Amino acid sequence: MSALGRLTLYLALMSSISFGGIPSVLPGIHDFVVIAHGWLSDRDFANFFALAQTIPGPNMILMMSLVGWKVAGLAGALAAAGATAIPPCMMYFVGYRLWDRFRDAAWQKIARASLAPLTFGLIVAGGTVMAETADKNWQAIAVTTAAAAFLLSTRINPLWMLGAAAMLGALGLV
Amino acid sequence: MPLAAEASQPLARASLGELFYEFLKVSLLGFGGGIVLAHRAAVERRRWLTEGDFADALTLCQFMPGPNVVGIAICVGAKTRGALGALTAFAGFVLLPGAIGFALALVYLGQTRVPLVENVLRGISPAAAGLMIGTGLRLLKPHRRDLRTILFAALAFAGLAIVKFPLLLVLATLAPLGVAATLYNRASLR
Repeated sequence: MSALGRLTLYLALMSSISFGGIPSVLPGIHDFVVIAHGWLSDRDFANFFALAQTIPGPNMILMMSLVGWKVAGLAGALAAAGATAIPPCMMYFVGYRLWDRFRDAAWQKIARASLAPLTFGLIVAGGTVMAETADKNWQAIAVTTAAAAFLLSTRINPLWMLGAAAMLGALGLV
Repeated sequence: MPLAAEASQPLARASLGELFYEFLKVSLLGFGGGIVLAHRAAVERRRWLTEGDFADALTLCQFMPGPNVVGIAICVGAKTRGALGALTAFAGFVLLPGAIGFALALVYLGQTRVPLVENVLRGISPAAAGLMIGTGLRLLKPHRRDLRTILFAALAFAGLAIVKFPLLLVLATLAPLGVAATLYNRASLR
């Protein structure tokens, strides 16, 4: 099979089992494209990751399209993006249809009451883990705390907070 | 309070254009905290979904593979306008920003780094993290007197953020325990 075919199949498989998001299967993708096949260097992989974080939009899909681009040009980029995005999206759609259709079923009331608390905790945890990598000094910790407090206690549009934080960053204060 | 407002106002029907526009905005301005903006757009501003519908979709997406925020876009689109709505939200969230991002990335890969951009991002990332923490706490707020909810939220938080177990392990351990606690405490459903 061609490199493009193998990459596409592998990414489709990885995206289908990426519980918690693509970052959870990133180590596997790294081993496949860098170590097993040598399609790109360690450094390329790290650069693509950092770059995808700084560009607005769907980060991980963008990162995989850059990997695909490196492997097989524009066709590679399109195939890799599709393999990363389409399988989970089909599952979300079918899953949600079923979930919504049976919303009054007894099993679902139990599932909802049991799983929703975990969701809330996981979201707070996700923010905390992000803060651990983002908060390198006390100013950054203050920004994180203020953003959480504002969101919790006011109805101010969160975009204002992102804008204010961007301003602080531009002035070199964070 | 969002819950009081929700009860008094009926839900609005989304147009495909609005779905596309809102999720395009969530995607371009989300910076890793897209759930916050999606909630703001779909529940508070546009009133396409109730607070409960949104928490429902979020719960489903947490327990499925893939990028969760894209899942939210699909669910909101599907809830308001069916398959076409899901496709439209996907197009707004993934297709257009992905194409722009890809072009930007190719340009950027040929350049040296721009310090101002890096500074701005250094300011945004802590705020995005804080907004995500705030969103989780806000979803918890209506349940603050429910001991079981607080306990399981705290366990999930600790498993992932403090002990740093892999997500799959946290889910596989706490989901059955959560179901057991609910069954034991059936009164909490009524």
